[in-house]
Amino acid sequence: MSRPRTVPAVVHLRAPGTAAGASFLFALARTVFLLALVSVVVFTSTELLPGDAADLRATPGADQDQVRALRDELGLNAAPWRRYLDWAAALLTGDLGTSLVNGRPVADALAQRLPATLTVVGGALAVAAPTSVALAWWAGGSGRAKRVSTALLTGGAALPTAVTAAILVTVFSGALGLVPPVSLLPPGAEPWQHPELLFLPVMALALPTAFYGASLLAGAVSDTMCLPHVADARRRGVPPWRIAATDVLPFLLAPFTRVTAVTGGGLIAAAALVETLFGYPGIGSLLVSSIASRDLPVVQATAVLAAAVVLIGLLAGDLVAALTEPRRRWLA
Amino acid sequence: MNRRAAVRLASLSVPLLAAGVLAVALFGQGWAPNSPTAPLGAPWQGPSPGLPLGTDALGRDVWSRVLAGGGGLLGVSMTAAVCACVIGTVGGLVAGWFGGLTSRSLTAAADLLLALPSLLFALVVAVALPWYTAVIIATVCGGAPLTLRVVRDAVRAARTSGYVEAALLRGEATASILGREVLPAMRGLVTADLGLRLVVALQVASALSVLGLGAAPPAPDWALMLRENMTGVAINPWAVAAPAVALGITTVLLALLAQICLTADRTSRVRDHDPALKEPADG
Repeated sequence: MSRPRTVPAVVHLRAPGTAAGASFLFALARTVFLLALVSVVVFTSTELLPGDAADLRATPGADQDQVRALRDELGLNAAPWRRYLDWAAALLTGDLGTSLVNGRPVADALAQRLPATLTVVGGALAVAAPTSVALAWWAGGSGRAKRVSTALLTGGAALPTAVTAAILVTVFSGALGLVPPVSLLPPGAEPWQHPELLFLPVMALALPTAFYGASLLAGAVSDTMCLPHVADARRRGVPPWRIAATDVLPFLLAPFTRVTAVTGGGLIAAAALVETLFGYPGIGSLLVSSIASRDLPVVQATAVLAAAVVLIGLLAGDLVAALTEPRRRWLA
Repeated sequence: MNRRAAVRLASLSVPLLAAGVLAVALFGQGWAPNSPTAPLGAPWQGPSPGLPLGTDALGRDVWSRVLAGGGGLLGVSMTAAVCACVIGTVGGLVAGWFGGLTSRSLTAAADLLLALPSLLFALVVAVALPWYTAVIIATVCGGAPLTLRVVRDAVRAARTSGYVEAALLRGEATASILGREVLPAMRGLVTADLGLRLVVALQVASALSVLGLGAAPPAPDWALMLRENMTGVAINPWAVAAPAVALGITTVLLALLAQICLTADRTSRVRDHDPALKEPADG
């Protein structure tokens, strides 16, 4: 038994036997369609809130006529689909709107916080990718301890990110006192100037991702180990490291790319959690705080951008996987 | 103890442990020695007699709050998991039985939903709707597609099996074959799947609570406790460690239980020579 049968479905999105070109066009169409769908969901979700921008912006004590005039001025009386199209068109041309809370352009707020999020997500990916390969190698290749390794990966992937973060804080900050429990950046400082503040957020993001990625990859590793040419090389007495480098790893490149794309998408969502928990000033904590304060333009722009990054990552992963996949027709 | 006995012990102890943990999580409120919401001492007090895990940020009893803090989280997650599993199973039954265009369009719709992380879904929906609705929608969107795929494959394989052909020859109606022949044969698979959905639902629900978008203070809630007590971790680490361990043990045991159900399901298929078998179970 390798993995729950539900899992590889995420990894092998491409139907076996489809040509790479057609499959890429299909994936591109899927990305565009999903992005449009996300924008509709985001817009509808924010529309469902009682009250609108005119109520929020009107000076306190303004009477109904003034609010109505403001509503006209802001174009809020138009049909919902009309306002959706206007909003989406503005978004596409790079106009992300202004914050309802502080009146600053949303694009400025995002640009200011982008480096912090990139640092922490990039760091997490750099830790998680090699760790997940190592874990998958151990779980997919081990013969006798297979049940133990499978149980460990299943358990590790099930642990909520918040729990991992709490355990890390309790150990490294509470018990050992090595790093501060919150990662507030001093004003004007760049995140990479304070590695001690990055440790907890990066590890809290990387560990669950590594386990989840490994649990997705372990099946591919154990499948590859069973391929005829690997068994053949083993019988010929080729040293294990050479089998790993020339016979196994090339076959893992495509699944690895897809898994990285899928887990990378999860990382972007999890960054919202980890940044908020550690008080780290990134885009994720901006999204959460603007959801809490109902700052709709910020929520809309941030959510659509996050979804776009996730979907483009998946698309890139699909493309790279299609290009690097060795001919494995005999597997089907 | 030989290896086989160790494996049997492990696969027996996980369900028992999981049942115990679920019982404590769901009904622990009744066993709490103190009020989970009333301040009983100074903030961040260490363990002392009567307060086995000390106090939290507002001086409330951590032990009572841990006992009371799983019910709401599990209730919401279970509702969400059942919704996802039912929708996915019905979709999978239809897709697997009718095949062709029905199957392709259902699978395509499911794959579309899979592309986005559940947590992002939940965050967007939580803008306007109550948090439990957000958890349910996110779990259904992120989980039902996976259930659909698993059930579809199993149904497709079961279509050609002896008991289904016998029912077809008896002239039974499709709905009755699916409900009385196919579905009971897949109960192990669907139970395991429900467990996996529950784990994801717990992850989403706890994430929303940690972000302050879920259960409202002063409600005792494991995830909310993590958020409230993070800053005092150096003074009373139990206030963070206890809810973290409770939530962690619950999710890990549920995931292991689902894994065991899957293995048992596959083993029984090998024994019965069921044609629905696709992968051999390991020894």
